[in-house]
Amino acid sequence: MATTTHAPPSGAGASRAGTARRVYSLVIAVVVLVLAVLASVMFGSRTTSFSDVLHVLAGTADPNVTTIVESRYPRTALGVLAGLCLAVAGTLMQGVTRNPLADPGLLGINAGASASIVAATAFLGASGSTDTMWWALPGALIAGLLVHAIGSAGSGSGLVRLVLAGAVLSAVLMAFIQAVTLSRPQVFDSYRYWVVGALGGRDFDVFLSVLPFAVVGLVMAAVLGPGLNTLALGDSTAASLGANPALVRAGGLLSATLLSAAATAAVGPIAFVGLAVPHVVRALVGVDFRVQILFSALAGPALLLLADVVGRVVMRPQELMVGVVTAFIGAPALLIAVRRMRGNA
Amino acid sequence: MTSHQAGFRTVSPRMFLTIGRAVALPFRRVSVLTALVLFLLLVVAAVATLSLGRLGIPLADLTGAVTGGAEGSHAFVLERLRGPRLVVAMGTGAALGLSGALFQSVTRNPLGSPDVIGLASGAGAGAAITALMFPDTVPVALGALLGAVLAMVLVYVSTGTGFRNPARLVIAGIGVAAIGTAVTQYVVYAMERDRAAVLTAYVNGSLSARSWDDATTIWLVLLIVAPLTALIARRLDIGEMGDDIAGALGSEPRNTKTIAIVLAIVLSAGAVGVAGPIAFISLTAPQIAKRITRVSGPHLLLSALTGALLLVIADLCAQQLPLFENLPVGIYTMAIGGVYLGWLLAREWRRGVL
Repeated sequence: MATTTHAPPSGAGASRAGTARRVYSLVIAVVVLVLAVLASVMFGSRTTSFSDVLHVLAGTADPNVTTIVESRYPRTALGVLAGLCLAVAGTLMQGVTRNPLADPGLLGINAGASASIVAATAFLGASGSTDTMWWALPGALIAGLLVHAIGSAGSGSGLVRLVLAGAVLSAVLMAFIQAVTLSRPQVFDSYRYWVVGALGGRDFDVFLSVLPFAVVGLVMAAVLGPGLNTLALGDSTAASLGANPALVRAGGLLSATLLSAAATAAVGPIAFVGLAVPHVVRALVGVDFRVQILFSALAGPALLLLADVVGRVVMRPQELMVGVVTAFIGAPALLIAVRRMRGNA
Repeated sequence: MTSHQAGFRTVSPRMFLTIGRAVALPFRRVSVLTALVLFLLLVVAAVATLSLGRLGIPLADLTGAVTGGAEGSHAFVLERLRGPRLVVAMGTGAALGLSGALFQSVTRNPLGSPDVIGLASGAGAGAAITALMFPDTVPVALGALLGAVLAMVLVYVSTGTGFRNPARLVIAGIGVAAIGTAVTQYVVYAMERDRAAVLTAYVNGSLSARSWDDATTIWLVLLIVAPLTALIARRLDIGEMGDDIAGALGSEPRNTKTIAIVLAIVLSAGAVGVAGPIAFISLTAPQIAKRITRVSGPHLLLSALTGALLLVIADLCAQQLPLFENLPVGIYTMAIGGVYLGWLLAREWRRGVL
């Protein structure tokens, strides 16, 4: 969130950071991610040491410690996947909409996933995290596409407009969710555990089931990188360079929606990772989308895992869910960004 | 996005109701007529609230019951069950409508309403924290009140320009709302189920089981704040022409704005205190009032009447619709308000205003 007024990128080559600087940044990003993964398996209600983790990996630790450390594998894997999905989705959305506020949480995807899960639990008898996860996907996809359709209808594209379209859809869906959950205690119970957004309490099955969606989304993102770069030059320039702006835009939105739907389905709604990471990355490595996507894929997991570790440590022995932690880190960052906005944005 | 669109025709000449030298209430014939119609509708909705349903007082007995002759079950329904609830609904709706009118007049922006910029979410978080940490010592309503005020202060501080710039306002509101929602969700997660359900109902804004004490509270707030808004009504009207013109005409736009915002927050906080954060009334009421009369100006009285009417109708739905039983009224206002907001935005986009 270092840059706040997101001037339209002035072309891929224009503000390219030096190659050496990118290599350093890449090394640093990888190191931070590795440290975050380590922290995620080390810390918890019972902290283990670095040498414990090494012993577990070598298979020579005592069984208790092994159990503790291994119990943290699924949430670490989920954290990596969800953080990666959210950050890349945020980068894509901000690139496609040229809107620095584009974030899956603000665009109705969370409300869509929630409404779908609530409906499935209440009327179709779905239960358990794997079961409900399958229902989150279509809801998130439909809501995401609907908001984009409303927000981009007509001429021009306002910054406030997409966000408002998301707010409208979210409000209507929230009314439905509240009506159902408040009249059915069982549904209320499972909903309140899902909606807070947490990495814990889920097994590898959840990870494996969303993995295909994430992979498809990521491959699309990688393919779209050069297209997004030309899109940043403006539609007419992009067209004259041989790109198809409409196709790139549609692909970007579809990919972003797939990625954020996968993340939301797996771990619940998590705010601000998709919003903040692209801003930080852009400030560090410049506007080339191929580089941005790569760095987002490294920084997103690192941020989410560190937030999760913070959540495990601050209220020990209780846990603060990662969704709460990211809101408390992300919202103040957003407020500071608003303060530093220039003009009417 | 400014509220005084060129499309509003002046349909009847503007007059001022003056009381001494201090008070000058701008009004038009169309506004007076609209106010009368709204008032009649409000009476009809109130009668329906009291007489519909299984426990309703039949129309034939209603006049007698209200004028003091209620007996037996009728007395119970009128004095305990529906009477206080109806009076609270009217007062809360009026307070929210008036608050929204003040906010929108100052921000000159239909979206500059307290419920769009995080007030409800802050109130919810305040209520949640109170319910979790001081369950028996501090009333939840007080927590909600503090949360609402704190959220508004946060938004004010973080925009850096007060409440004037719409884009900043909306974004800062999103940030503050995100914190509030995260807190509420955590508390709902951490509590046992039954208490969590009660808290969720409150956080959505509910009018069930309100007492005469609540009615006294909200009407007291209204009685104190309404005359004060009347005092600044004319200056607000001038203020909608823009700061420069207002300054040239000899009013102090900044002072007027600050007073109006403070009054609006007091009204909203009072409403939150008795009914919890009820969504979208303060957003929609002034907009509806503006669209009925099609004239410019802050529409203070009309917004208050519209707000009261909307909330009484929503509460009537909450009590009588067979689909879901005993839902908090805030869910109905959220659904209706969401649809209305969507329509409003679609309209503004078609005209290319936003």
